[in-house]
Amino acid sequence: MTRSEDAEPEATAAAGSDVFGADTEIGRDLALVDWAATTPLGDPEGWPQSLRTTVSILLSSKFSMWMAWGPELTFFCNAAYRRDTLGRKYPWALGRPASQVWAEIWSDISPRIDTVLTTGEATWDQALLLFVERSGYLEESYHTFSYSPLRDDAGLVVGMLCVVSEETERVIGERRMATLRDLGSDPSVVRTEQEMLDFACVQLSRNPHDLPFTLTYLFQDDGSAALAAVTGLDDGHPAAEKLLPAGSETVWPTGAPARGETVLTPLDGATFADLPTGEWAEAPFQAMVVPLRQQGGAPYGFMVVGLNRYRDLDDGYRGFVELVAGHVATGVASARSYQAQQRRAEELAELDRAKTTFFSNISHEFRTPLTLIMGPVEELRHRLTDEAARAELEVIHRNGLRLGKLVNTLLDFSRIEAGRMQAQYEPVDLAAVTGELASVFRSAVDRAGLDFRVVCPPLPEPVFVDRSMWEKVVLNLLSNALKFTFDGSIRVAVGIEDGMAVVTVDDTGIGVAAQEMPRLFERFHRIENARSRSNEGSGIGLALVKELVGLHGGDIGATSAEGRGTSFTIRLPFGSAHLPADAVLAEAGPGSAAMADPFVQEALRWLPGEQSTTMPVPVGSDANASADGQDAGAEQAHVLVADDNADMREYLMRLLRGAGHRVSAVNDGRQALRAVRAQAFDLVISDVMMPHMDGLALVAALRADSRTASVPVLLLSARAGQEASIEGLRAGADDYLVKPFAAAELLARVRANIELARLRSHHARWRTALVDSLQEAFFVCDEDGAVVEINTAFTDILGYGPEGLPYRPVHPWWPDATDSEAHQQVSDAFALLLGSTKGSYTIPITHRDGHRLWVTATFNQVDDPDTGRRVTVGTFRDVTAEHYAIQRESALAALGTCLARATSLPQALAGALDELKKIWRARWVMAAVFDHGDEPTLTSTDGTPRWAELPAGRRDTLNSLRQGPILTPAADPTGAGVLLEFPDGPLALWIDLGENRPFTGEDQLLLSLLAGHLAQGLHRAHQFDQQRETAIALQRAILGPAQLPDGFAVRYEPATQPLEVGGDWYDTVGLPDGRIGIVVGDCVGRGLEAASVMGQLRSACRALLLQDASPAQTLMALDQFAAGVPGAVCTTVFCGVLNADTGQLTYSSAGHPPGILVHPDGTTRLLEDGRSLPLAVRTGRQRPEGTCVIAARSTLLLYTDGLVERRRRPLSAGIDQASEALQDGRNTAVDELATDVMSKLAPVGGYDDDVALLLYRHPAPLEMTFPAESSQLAPVRKSLRSWLDQCDLPPTTVQNVLVAAGEACANAIEHGHRDTPGETIHFRAEAYVDNLRLTIADTGRWKAPEPELNTHRGRGMRLMRALMQHVTVTPGPSGTTVDMHTRIV
Amino acid sequence: MTTALTLTHGRRPDGTGLVTAVGEIDMSNAGELAAALATTAGPLVLDLTGVDYLDSAGLSVLFPHAERLQLVTNPLLDPVLTISGLSDLTTVHGG
Repeated sequence: MTRSEDAEPEATAAAGSDVFGADTEIGRDLALVDWAATTPLGDPEGWPQSLRTTVSILLSSKFSMWMAWGPELTFFCNAAYRRDTLGRKYPWALGRPASQVWAEIWSDISPRIDTVLTTGEATWDQALLLFVERSGYLEESYHTFSYSPLRDDAGLVVGMLCVVSEETERVIGERRMATLRDLGSDPSVVRTEQEMLDFACVQLSRNPHDLPFTLTYLFQDDGSAALAAVTGLDDGHPAAEKLLPAGSETVWPTGAPARGETVLTPLDGATFADLPTGEWAEAPFQAMVVPLRQQGGAPYGFMVVGLNRYRDLDDGYRGFVELVAGHVATGVASARSYQAQQRRAEELAELDRAKTTFFSNISHEFRTPLTLIMGPVEELRHRLTDEAARAELEVIHRNGLRLGKLVNTLLDFSRIEAGRMQAQYEPVDLAAVTGELASVFRSAVDRAGLDFRVVCPPLPEPVFVDRSMWEKVVLNLLSNALKFTFDGSIRVAVGIEDGMAVVTVDDTGIGVAAQEMPRLFERFHRIENARSRSNEGSGIGLALVKELVGLHGGDIGATSAEGRGTSFTIRLPFGSAHLPADAVLAEAGPGSAAMADPFVQEALRWLPGEQSTTMPVPVGSDANASADGQDAGAEQAHVLVADDNADMREYLMRLLRGAGHRVSAVNDGRQALRAVRAQAFDLVISDVMMPHMDGLALVAALRADSRTASVPVLLLSARAGQEASIEGLRAGADDYLVKPFAAAELLARVRANIELARLRSHHARWRTALVDSLQEAFFVCDEDGAVVEINTAFTDILGYGPEGLPYRPVHPWWPDATDSEAHQQVSDAFALLLGSTKGSYTIPITHRDGHRLWVTATFNQVDDPDTGRRVTVGTFRDVTAEHYAIQRESALAALGTCLARATSLPQALAGALDELKKIWRARWVMAAVFDHGDEPTLTSTDGTPRWAELPAGRRDTLNSLRQGPILTPAADPTGAGVLLEFPDGPLALWIDLGENRPFTGEDQLLLSLLAGHLAQGLHRAHQFDQQRETAIALQRAILGPAQLPDGFAVRYEPATQPLEVGGDWYDTVGLPDGRIGIVVGDCVGRGLEAASVMGQLRSACRALLLQDASPAQTLMALDQFAAGVPGAVCTTVFCGVLNADTGQLTYSSAGHPPGILVHPDGTTRLLEDGRSLPLAVRTGRQRPEGTCVIAARSTLLLYTDGLVERRRRPLSAGIDQASEALQDGRNTAVDELATDVMSKLAPVGGYDDDVALLLYRHPAPLEMTFPAESSQLAPVRKSLRSWLDQCDLPPTTVQNVLVAAGEACANAIEHGHRDTPGETIHFRAEAYVDNLRLTIADTGRWKAPEPELNTHRGRGMRLMRALMQHVTVTPGPSGTTVDMHTRIV
Repeated sequence: MTTALTLTHGRRPDGTGLVTAVGEIDMSNAGELAAALATTAGPLVLDLTGVDYLDSAGLSVLFPHAERLQLVTNPLLDPVLTISGLSDLTTVHGG
């Protein structure tokens, strides 16, 4: 351990040349300044402690700070300030007057500095705009800063400290962000070019700071550039040229932007003479010409942006301008794309109309080619043996059948609608015919695993039906039943009811919702989202059934229970009376179920087992899809196909692969959604109608999830018409294609959509750029509070990146639960976020690396435009620096107040510890002052413990702190400590935070700042103490007469408040005639000024008394004198002249409280005569005099009002109290009595005014010193006799005292100095009120009594004992003292 | 300097020797008294009426002559003579 002696040289070094030691780099440059020659501060060796401490704090701080000190406000700064703000002015600025360093902003900051210097109050400015010149040009900059006063050792404000955080980046960033945000706030994505430009202009003109003016030119077909939009500039300005010919370089360059290049162009020449200045004092001197880039094409045009001359064109500014231009370009692109889309939609609608007409007119024309296809195909199926070719042929066959069926159905409708249905009703055995038709379906039903019951008992008479129509009726109903039934059974029954033939088809399928029932037979109505084996189907089956049944004069009804099944019931009348006679055949023809094949074939395709050859290519296993022989070029896109029709799936895959795309396929929306979530696709092609999840639902689900929202979707549907396409687009599909479609059209759409997607991803990239350019951490929360999106600033500030998304609550940046207070704050704030629509709060959070941050969170609930869900978007602004700045300011203020209030060093220290405890909410705070040896003096907020009682660990901590550098905090898990300089020696401070409370870097910084201030404050308190002590010593020195006349005692007591030394005095003056002048006075006021007035009055009074020993005359002359001394008026004085022999006292009082005289009999007299006004109140006025005789053994008390005056108590009470104290001390020596009176009258807590007191007891004690010779006995006796006479004693007592004293003196002469004659004897006699005391002291040693030789000496001692009450002989090494008392009777 | 003391020799009317002392008697001049007493023999009257201080030094001179002395004193000296026991050995007459 270092002993204190060893530590001393270090301390000296630290205080001396090492002023700049806290930072090696800045410190070195500071040390290079020739302080003595160039600054009024002089050589650093001579700098005051306060300056040293402040410079040390400044240099050790990581906060950006500068300070100014002394008459010229000499400039200092630290490394952070140099880096952030000072720029090229370093190191030139060091040691220069602040007004030179910051000449360009002096007019802004000097009023603030003046305020600090004159009022001592700190200033606070947030984001103040200052134009600084630190990088070679006048620069727009923003600073949040606080100026606080710096005080010298005497507590005077002599400088200021500026703590700055530069916010230029933030302010400008926010401003630019606002512009970008506003540009993106256009609610309608699609609008005309001009509307888009108008909107953009409004937004651009709102930022005249960064965009003093802008011009937007669009290239025309002929290559010229036409002015399309202007901001910040009059239309008529020469710079706003309306049309720039192709290749023109006058006014603005067009060649570079046409090539997609950005150029800077200087703004000089007449054209730019009167440019507007935007928000600034001077106009831009250069402009940026940025192309409006087109994805994959020549630029649309270009934008000219006049640049803010007060900002460097750095990456941020350039990027901002590019983003603005990029936005405008995107706007142009989408406006043009919208127009193109609109044109296309109109064309499509027209095409659809034509198609419908075409179909209805020529559908029947299909039959011929179909037949011609189907015939040979049928033949080939039987003939071909090549398996692969047969499989292809199967596809052709199946779809030929299906097409034929659809064509027939359409034709049927056309016929029905046209009334041209050629029905032939023949009488048939309905049960037999129906049973036969049903049996065709048996295999399909069996394969579906369903129970198939056919109950067809013969009917009593035939029913007239058109055989082919009836087939369609039954097959449609069965097909329908199979499609919607997954478990249970299908039942077909024939019977009679109410005289009609009844055919029922029942199933145990999914049923039909009640609300759908009325529309069940409506043409083209399909039940949406119904679970089915296939969504193939036109929606015309049941409508056709109804029409057909109607043609037979029957009706059809349905009952259904959702989830339980559906039952169709057909009623047909018997006979033929209800049918047109010409269509009725008398005989039944030969029957065949020729129509059945397409139905059954189709149904079988829905069922498992039939798909084995056309299984969908599983997603993910298609990685080598490009191995189809196609080049994996840059244009290759990954496309997902979702269709429940296996043929369509395969067809699409073939087609797309043929076009060079990678393809994956799935067979419903649900699988598609899974696939897209798992893997990125460039395009999804989906059928609208699919089981489980249809195309529209798929689109909605994709759009709802931010990860998949941007995947383009092309919907395919058999439903034509504008309405259907709009529905698809509204759901969020990117395109909509109606089946049937031409392969070329599909591929063209696919290509267009992939390109559009790239455009869209440009949008997305732009949005990402926008969000990422936010300097604040940006996040999006879902309804549950999970953070689903963040920007790069979020990662920068919190340390959590997008790879961890989503972040579910409790978010990982919440403070640890062990830091319960912070945790609670965040928890409350989070509840607010979930429960409110908007808000803002400041909370502590924890960075991923563990350090503590403070952020201001601002959030808003919004509807996600893509998904319609409510989400919360918010930002975190890092306010750590501000938070700690405020905390620091308030902590410094609190500490400052506490130090200022303290009146002594221990009080200052104790108060400061309490303050530190409050600041950190610590368990306790302890200070160990290593003032002497190894055992320090402890002060604690927790009582005053003793060093030896501390736990060893704590002692070690304090000891190791002591060995460390000063003002450098050290922390461990239980708290933190710091070492600082203290007047009595090094002081180690320890703050106990309890377990698991983190002591962050910011806390350490704050602690070192506070410790610096504390050291300075304690130093000041110490000086205060010293000053007070000096002042009191001075006062006492002025007051105390070197030799008080005998019989007097005096006291002076300063008031207990610091430096409340003041105007009270006492004085005794030995006058030429032997009398004694007595003065007690009290000047108005306190402090050193009053003391100085007192000194002058006292000297004057003393001189006047010596000149003219009349109290009244003296005071009158003093009136004159006081009138000329500032602060002397109204002084009160008691002035008296005492004849010590007779006790005669003449006195005069200038407004002073009366003297108190206590007689031996206990009566009291107040010296109230001779009283007049205080000094100099009426100069020249005659003053009266009073006289009295101070009887023997009476005591006189003179005093100043501080002794007796108390609040809410009459003066007389104090006087009575003083009289009592005098009476109590009747047998006490005056000096002791003076002490007793002072302490008895002192209020609790000490005197609150200073007190001067003078006591005299008459007669004064007799003191004599004489040589030890017998010849001295007679004169000694004579003096004693005379003194005893003054004491007014009975004659016997006088004689007894004389003899006793004579014996004692004789003893002293004879025994004490037998061998060394000529030594001195000291004699003292003092009278108390009813007691007398004699002391005779010699410097020799008495011999042991030898009675036989010295009988008469023994006799002398006997006499002494007999004559006095008490005799004590005290032999000592340096002499013998005889002490004798006798009572006065 | 010795204490002021005047010693006067004389005879009483009855022929008895008489020494009259005036002043103070302490150790500085007790020798003078002793010498004066030594010049006389036989009964002696010592008149101390004019002595206003007498301490043990004076008493020590008187005790050896106690048998033949008659003292004439004043009241101031009474306590000293009584306390010392001299008044028991000699005849003391009030002055």
